[in-house]
Amino acid sequence: MSALVEQRAMEATAVKATGRARLKWARILRSPTAMVGLFLVGFWVVAAILAPVLPLYSPTEQDVMALADPTPSAAHWLGVDILGRDELSRLIFGARTVLVVAPLSVAVAMIVGITLGMIAGCYGGWIDAVISRLSDIILAFPVLVLYVILIANIGPSIINIVIATTIASAPGIGRITRGLVLGLKEQEYIAAARLRAESTLYIMLVELLPNCRGMLIVDACLRIGYTIITIGILGFLGLGLPPPNPDWGGMVKESTTVLNVWPLMSVLPSIAIVSLVLGFNLLADGLREAWKP
Amino acid sequence: MDKTSHPYIPTLLDQLNEGEISRRDFLRKSTLLGLSAGAAYAMAGIIDPATQARAGDLPKGGNLRIGMRCMEIKDPHLADFAEKSNVIRQVCEYLTFTDRNNITHPYLLEKWDVSDDLKTWTLHIRKDVKWRDGRALNADDVIWNLKRVSDPKVGSSVFGLFTGYLVEEYDTGEKDDKGNPKKSSRLWSDKAIEKVDDSTVRLNLFSPQIAVAEHLFHYPMFILDPKDNGAFGPSANGTGPFEMVEYTVGKGAKYKARTDYWGGAAHLDTFEFVDLGDNPGAGIAAMASKQVDGLSEADAVQINSMKAFPHVAVHKVETTQTIVMRMHPDVEQFKDKRVRQAMRHALDRDKIIQTVLLGAGTPAEDHHVAPSHPEYAALPKWPRDVEKAKKLMADAGHADGFELDLVTRPDPIWELNTTQAMAEQLKDIGIKANIKSLPSAQYWEVWTSAPFSLTAWGHRPLAIMTLGLAYRSNAAWNESHFSNAEFDKLLTQAEGILDPKERSKVMEKIELIMQDEGPIVQPFWRIFSTVMDKKVQGFELHPSQYIFAKDYAVASA
Amino acid sequence: MAIFVAKRLAMMMLTMVAASFLVFAVCEFTPGSVARKSLGPFATQEQVDFLTKKLKADDPLLVRYGRWAGVLLGIIPDPLQDPSTGLNFKDPRGAQYFGNFGYSTLNKLPVNDVIWSRLGNTAILAGLAFLLIVPLSIVFGILSGLKEGGVLDRLLSVICITFTSIPEFASGVFLVTLFVILWPVLPGTSPLDSEGGWSVPSQLVLPVAVLVIYDFGYVARMIRVSMIGVMEKPYIRTAVLKGMSTRQVVIGHALRNAMIAPFTVLLLQINFLISGVVVTELVFAYPGFGRLLLDASLFGDIATIEAATLITVAIAVTTQFVGDLGYMLLDPRIRLR
Repeated sequence: MSALVEQRAMEATAVKATGRARLKWARILRSPTAMVGLFLVGFWVVAAILAPVLPLYSPTEQDVMALADPTPSAAHWLGVDILGRDELSRLIFGARTVLVVAPLSVAVAMIVGITLGMIAGCYGGWIDAVISRLSDIILAFPVLVLYVILIANIGPSIINIVIATTIASAPGIGRITRGLVLGLKEQEYIAAARLRAESTLYIMLVELLPNCRGMLIVDACLRIGYTIITIGILGFLGLGLPPPNPDWGGMVKESTTVLNVWPLMSVLPSIAIVSLVLGFNLLADGLREAWKP
Repeated sequence: MDKTSHPYIPTLLDQLNEGEISRRDFLRKSTLLGLSAGAAYAMAGIIDPATQARAGDLPKGGNLRIGMRCMEIKDPHLADFAEKSNVIRQVCEYLTFTDRNNITHPYLLEKWDVSDDLKTWTLHIRKDVKWRDGRALNADDVIWNLKRVSDPKVGSSVFGLFTGYLVEEYDTGEKDDKGNPKKSSRLWSDKAIEKVDDSTVRLNLFSPQIAVAEHLFHYPMFILDPKDNGAFGPSANGTGPFEMVEYTVGKGAKYKARTDYWGGAAHLDTFEFVDLGDNPGAGIAAMASKQVDGLSEADAVQINSMKAFPHVAVHKVETTQTIVMRMHPDVEQFKDKRVRQAMRHALDRDKIIQTVLLGAGTPAEDHHVAPSHPEYAALPKWPRDVEKAKKLMADAGHADGFELDLVTRPDPIWELNTTQAMAEQLKDIGIKANIKSLPSAQYWEVWTSAPFSLTAWGHRPLAIMTLGLAYRSNAAWNESHFSNAEFDKLLTQAEGILDPKERSKVMEKIELIMQDEGPIVQPFWRIFSTVMDKKVQGFELHPSQYIFAKDYAVASA
Repeated sequence: MAIFVAKRLAMMMLTMVAASFLVFAVCEFTPGSVARKSLGPFATQEQVDFLTKKLKADDPLLVRYGRWAGVLLGIIPDPLQDPSTGLNFKDPRGAQYFGNFGYSTLNKLPVNDVIWSRLGNTAILAGLAFLLIVPLSIVFGILSGLKEGGVLDRLLSVICITFTSIPEFASGVFLVTLFVILWPVLPGTSPLDSEGGWSVPSQLVLPVAVLVIYDFGYVARMIRVSMIGVMEKPYIRTAVLKGMSTRQVVIGHALRNAMIAPFTVLLLQINFLISGVVVTELVFAYPGFGRLLLDASLFGDIATIEAATLITVAIAVTTQFVGDLGYMLLDPRIRLR
C-alpha cells in the first residue's frame, strides 16, 4: 500500500488532531466497527496464545492416511494440507508467527520513525532537511518492490522482515510524527516547558509523545494490517518464513495447485489473513473515531 | 546379424535366451554396443516403439501449445535446464536419441561402432541431413560442436561428462594464492576427436567408456551450425523439424514446421511454448480454460487436481529422476559415517512417497542406482528402524542429536515438500534440520558448498553417468564432497566392463560402499508425469522431460 | 514557479541517484558474482574466474556503481558486450549510448529489449484498473462523506475497509475458483495472445478486477475524509442555512473542493499499482513488468532491477510532482515550499 498516500492523509488529519486529545473509551465501546475489529484481533490473539495448550495436532505432523481425503473430517476439523498436516493447527500456529512478526516489525519501525520524526520536528533546520530528503527517497519506492528487492537479496527470516518493514515504514511514520510535532510545538504547554528550561529530550518524551499518541496508535494499527498482508504476499511469492513453520501466504501458495479439487486449502488461509487484517483495520477506524477531539 | 556388430553381442543373446538377463537388459546392453535399436528390438522379439508410433496415421496440420517456462536461450551448449533445452530441441538436434525405455538409437548418426576395448568410437553421420539453409551436415560441423563443448572456457556441462575419457585434468604449472598447483582441463590429445572422412568422426578415448552414445544425448549436446558461433535465437540455423519464428523471454516461443525436414515433415503446422510463470496454479488454470493443450511437466499434486478435467489425459513414465539429501562428510556433524547411516535408517520412504508424490514413486536405496538402470544390482532393503538409527547416533557421539541448516529451494514445490517430509522424520532421531529455502538462483550459488542440502538429479539412462558426475572424487558436480579411492577405482572398472553379470558384481560393491559410507540419503525415484489435452496424439512422455514436437499431432475438433 | 520546478527536478535527479545506489548496495548481500550469473550454475570455476577478471567484478562497490552509471549515461561502453568476454552479448543499439541499462544476466538480452514491452503490458493492466478505481472510489467516497456516521457511511465504510483487507493473492484465489473453475466464463491465465481461444480483453478481466478490489476501497476512504472535511467548512454550513438543497450544496460547492486532496491521492495510486501488479501478474501468468521485476530480484539480475527501480522511482516522483502542480492549480491558497 502506498505509504505516501497514507502519510499525506494522516498529515491532513493530524493538523486537526493537535490539541490535548483524550481517548474516549466510551466511544470505542459504542462503535460496532471497533468492537468487531477488537473481536477479530482478539480471537486470533487468544488462539495464538493458547495454541500450545489447545488439543491440536502438531502443525508439522504429517498424516498420510488423511491425505486420501483431505477435506474436513472428525479427526481433522478443517481438513489437512497437501502434506497431510492439520489445517486448523497450521492456521492457529500460523497466527502465532504473524502476530509476533507483524507487531514486532511495526514496533521497531515506529521506534525508528518516531525518533526520526521527533528529531526532525524539534530541531528543524538542516537536520530536518536531511531526514526529510532521505525519507522522500525511500517513500519514492513502491513499497512491495522495496520488500521484494530487500528480502530476495538478504533472505527471508523474521529479523529480515523486521528490517525490511522498518526501512519501508519508518520514513512514513517519521513524516506523520514530524507533522504532529510541528503542530504541537506552538501550543502553550510546550512553550511553558521551554520556559521552565526543560531539556529537549524531556519535552519530546514527556510533553510531545503522549500527545501524538492517538494518531500514532491508529497509524500503527493500520500498519500492522499492511504488514500482515505484506508477509502474506512474501509467503505467496516463495519469500516467506522458512518451512515447515506454518505461514499463511505460503499455505495459499502450496495449495493453489489443488484449487479446483480442494479449494478449502487455499480459501481457509486466505480467509484467515483477511479476517486478521480486517480486524486491525476496523480497530484503527474505531480508534480514529474515538480520538476525534 | 552383420559382421560389423560388436563381438560381445552373441554372448548377450545367449544370456537372454537362457533367461539370465531380461529383454530390457538385452536391449539396453546390445544397443550400447552399437547394435541398431531396430535389430535389437527384433532379436529380443519386441516391437520397436519407434516404428510402432509411426505406424498409425496421425492427423496433419494444426497448432499445438504447451505451457512451459521460457527463459534465456543464449547458448544451447550452456543450456542448464530441461526447459531451456526444450526450446532449442525443436530446431537443433542430437547425434543420438535415448528413448523412454532407456534404449539409445542413432539420430543424426546413421550408426556407431565401438572397439572391443571401448576406447575407439566411430560415429557415422547421416548423409541425408540438411541444415535449414540447405547445406548438408558434415563431419566438420560435428567436430566443431564436440570441440566447443570440450573447451573449459565455454562452460558446457557436457564437459563434465567427457572428463575422465576425453577430457583430462592437467597441471598448468602456475600456483594459486595458497601455493597449490593450479589445475585446468583440456582434451587429452589432438587426436581425441578425429575426422575420418566427410561423414565419419572418430573419438579416441584414453580410458574405456561404455556410455558415450548416452552422453551425446545429454541435453546441451546439440549440433549447432558453426556459423552461428554458439548463439541461438529465432534466426538460428538448425537441422531440426521446426524453425523458430518468435521468441520472447518470459512470454513464449513460436515455431513453424519445415517442409524440407530430412526426417519427413512434422505433423503439426505450428507449435508454441507459452510461459505460465512460477505460480504452479497458473498451469492448472490455463489447462482448465484450454489456453494450452498441455504442460511440459505436472507434479503428482497437480495431476491429482487435473485428472478431473474431462478433456485432459494424464501421461506417466518411470524415471531415474530423484532427489538426494546430501551431507558433506568433512563437517563436524557428519564426520562419523554412522551418522549418515543413521539418517538412512531414519527414513520411512513409503510414507514420503505417499505424502509428497501421492504414490507416484518407488523407494530408493541410497546409492543412486535405480532398479531400472541396466547395471543395477539388487541389495537387501532397509526398512525404517528408528531404534537402530538412534543407537548409531549415540555410538557416533550424537546421542542428543544436533541442529543444522538444510538448504533447499522453493520451486518446484515437490522438492520443498520432500524436504519438509524428510526433515520431519529426521526429528525422530534428534536431527533438527532448519530448512533454508533459497530462491533458485541463490540456491545454485551454494549447491556444492552448503554442508547439508537437497539436490534433484535428472533422469539418466545409465547409473554410471550420475555416479561419475556426482560422486567420483573431484568430479565437476561432486556436490557432496565425497571422496573414496575404492569407489573411484570400482567405478572406472565398471565403466569398462562389458559383461553385465560381471559389471553387476562391481556395481554391487559400489552400491555397498554408498550405503555404508556414502554421503546421501535418497528417498525415492520419481514417476514423471504431465497432462495433455485428449486431442493431442502421438505424445509419449520422455523421462528426461524432453519434448519432441515433431512426433506430436492434434486431432481437429 | 520556475525556481519551484527547477528545485523539484533537481530533487528528482537526486532521488533517482540515491535510489539506484541503495539498490546497488542491497544487491551486494546476494551471494554470488555477476560472472557466475552470466554463465549459469554448471560453468566451471575456471571460466567464472576468467570472466570475473575480465569484468573487473572484484572492484569496490563505488567503482562498480560508477561504471554502471557511466554505461547508463553513455559515457563508457558496456563491458559485458566486449567480444573478449566470450559471452556473445550484442545490443543492436550499440555498446555505448545514453539510456543503456546494460545486459540482463537473467535473460541474456539487453535490458532495453525486454523491459519496455513488459512495461507496456503492465500499463494496460494498471491503466484499466485506474479507469475503474477513479469513478468507483469517487462515488463511494462522496456518498459516505455526505453524512459522517450515517447509516450509508457506516455501510460503505465497512465495505471499503473489507475490500482493502483482501490481499491480491486471496482475491485472485477467490475469483479463479468462481469464474474459472466453478463457472468457467473467463480464462484462468493471461498470456495476452488470442491463440488459446480466449480474446485478449477477456484475459484482462480478472487481473484488473483483482487490482480494483484491493485498491478502490482505500481511495474511497481518502475521498470520504476529504469530503467530511469540506462538509464541515463554514461556507457549506452557510449554504445549508441559506436553505439550499443538499444536492445543490454538494454539486455547487462541496464537490470541487472535496476533490482537491483526493486528486493527489488518485495520482499516487499509479505508484501503488506498479507494486500491486507483482502479485497479480504472478497469479495470472501475465507477461508484465511486475513479474519481470520479481524474476530479476529472485535471480539477482542487477541490471534489470536497477532499470526497474529507476523507472518506478521516476514514475513515482513524476506523479508526485504532477500531483503537487495540480494541487496548486486547484487550490490557489496553497503556497509551495
